Amino acid sequence: MTTPSSRPSPAEQPFTFPREYHFPPFFTRQRNAITYTAQCQKWSKLILDYCRAKRIWRLSLVDAIDGELFWNKSLNRRLSLADAREIIDVMKTKEGRAEWVSKDKNVALVYWRNPEEWATVIGDWIEETAQRNTVLTLYELTEGYLTASQEFHGMDTEILQKSLNVLVKRGKAQVFGSEDQQGVKFF
Amino acid sequence: MSKKKGVGLAAFDRRHLSPQQYADHGRIIHRQHIDELETQLAIFQSLLAHFSNTHSAAIRSDPSFRAAFARMCAAIGVDPLASSSNRKGNFWAEMLGGSVNDFYFGLAVRVVEVCRATRAENGGLISVREVRERVEKGAGSLGGEVSEYVTAVHVVVCLIFEWKPYPGICSDDILRAVKSLKPLGSGFAVITIGKKQMIRSVPKELNTDQSTVLEAIHILGYVTVSMLQANLGWERARSHTVIDDLLADSLVWVDMQAEETEYWSPMFIHDGGG
Repeated sequence: MTTPSSRPSPAEQPFTFPREYHFPPFFTRQRNAITYTAQCQKWSKLILDYCRAKRIWRLSLVDAIDGELFWNKSLNRRLSLADAREIIDVMKTKEGRAEWVSKDKNVALVYWRNPEEWATVIGDWIEETAQRNTVLTLYELTEGYLTASQEFHGMDTEILQKSLNVLVKRGKAQVFGSEDQQGVKFF
Repeated sequence: MSKKKGVGLAAFDRRHLSPQQYADHGRIIHRQHIDELETQLAIFQSLLAHFSNTHSAAIRSDPSFRAAFARMCAAIGVDPLASSSNRKGNFWAEMLGGSVNDFYFGLAVRVVEVCRATRAENGGLISVREVRERVEKGAGSLGGEVSEYVTAVHVVVCLIFEWKPYPGICSDDILRAVKSLKPLGSGFAVITIGKKQMIRSVPKELNTDQSTVLEAIHILGYVTVSMLQANLGWERARSHTVIDDLLADSLVWVDMQAEETEYWSPMFIHDGGG
């Protein structure tokens, strides 16, 4: 099983932080509403870019808050957990780019592509590889070597479910099977 | 004894006469100068017209050529954008077939876009350098709050001037573009804070205190209330008022994780900060 050389292992890709990451006030919640809007947009973009680069599908805030994303150690500035939650909330309500996994707001699904977009990506891949009317297990779809070079490789199962549901609604797929033995047929 | 040094009454006559002669002669020379200059100007104009006709494409597309052209215009004291002379429209527009004007007006729309898109972040005050970088990059998505009006204008302008990215524009180009917005009375102005040229896109005057604080921020990177007290001799209340005003206009960002609360200019986001 070989991975195409064009796609180096994403986890090792160094992430280049945007310039605002080196701007100390970026880590303090801005009190001016207009400024805060701008700040949220920048955080949202940073979080999504970071998660895309690191292939993070679900972001555990409690853990991430101590990581480089929210804590610029060289500046000695960090975003508080409460502020991070608020930003995820904004990403969820205003942009539809995140969703809380549970009510305690500790873990969020981050949609650097949302389920609609993933559905299209998967649908296109099926089309391109002429796999209509074939049956794939969900495991094959996200972990199989066939998809190793695809963006959705390694996708979080919950996001996969949501994306397949979109395809089902579009009449392009049918999901069957039970819990851990699920398969999907594409039309 | 020289003849000129006349003695007697004749000398008075001659003295009376020579200033008159000098003046006449002076007028003649003056006239000749004007004639010469007029001839030179006529030649210059026809050469320039020829030049710009042959090179209008280069003026439009080649940044270094354009910069050289702009420098030449500045050196000879003409403004390629001047439309204020109501004599016969825009001299340059006629000469250059509008290509230079179109270039700057198109650029001006991009400048407006950048200013609007970043307004939430910087309160409508942005450095010329940052505008240049953003226009140059030609960021596809506008992001931020772009009013429908601007979008509509954008679309129209796209249709009129074939939309092109602006690689290698210089700060001069940006300043010229902002200048070309003036007749619209749109509230765009170039102001100088410290040594930096900034484009102000909100029609709001900064008072002296606010300018002083912004200037200090631009030099030091940030200010704190006690820095203002120590360096400007301001009282606490005055410092707070000025900073609150700047915060309210979203011209500064607050950092509360330092020992004393610091106030930063969002301009530093783009200057690399930290």
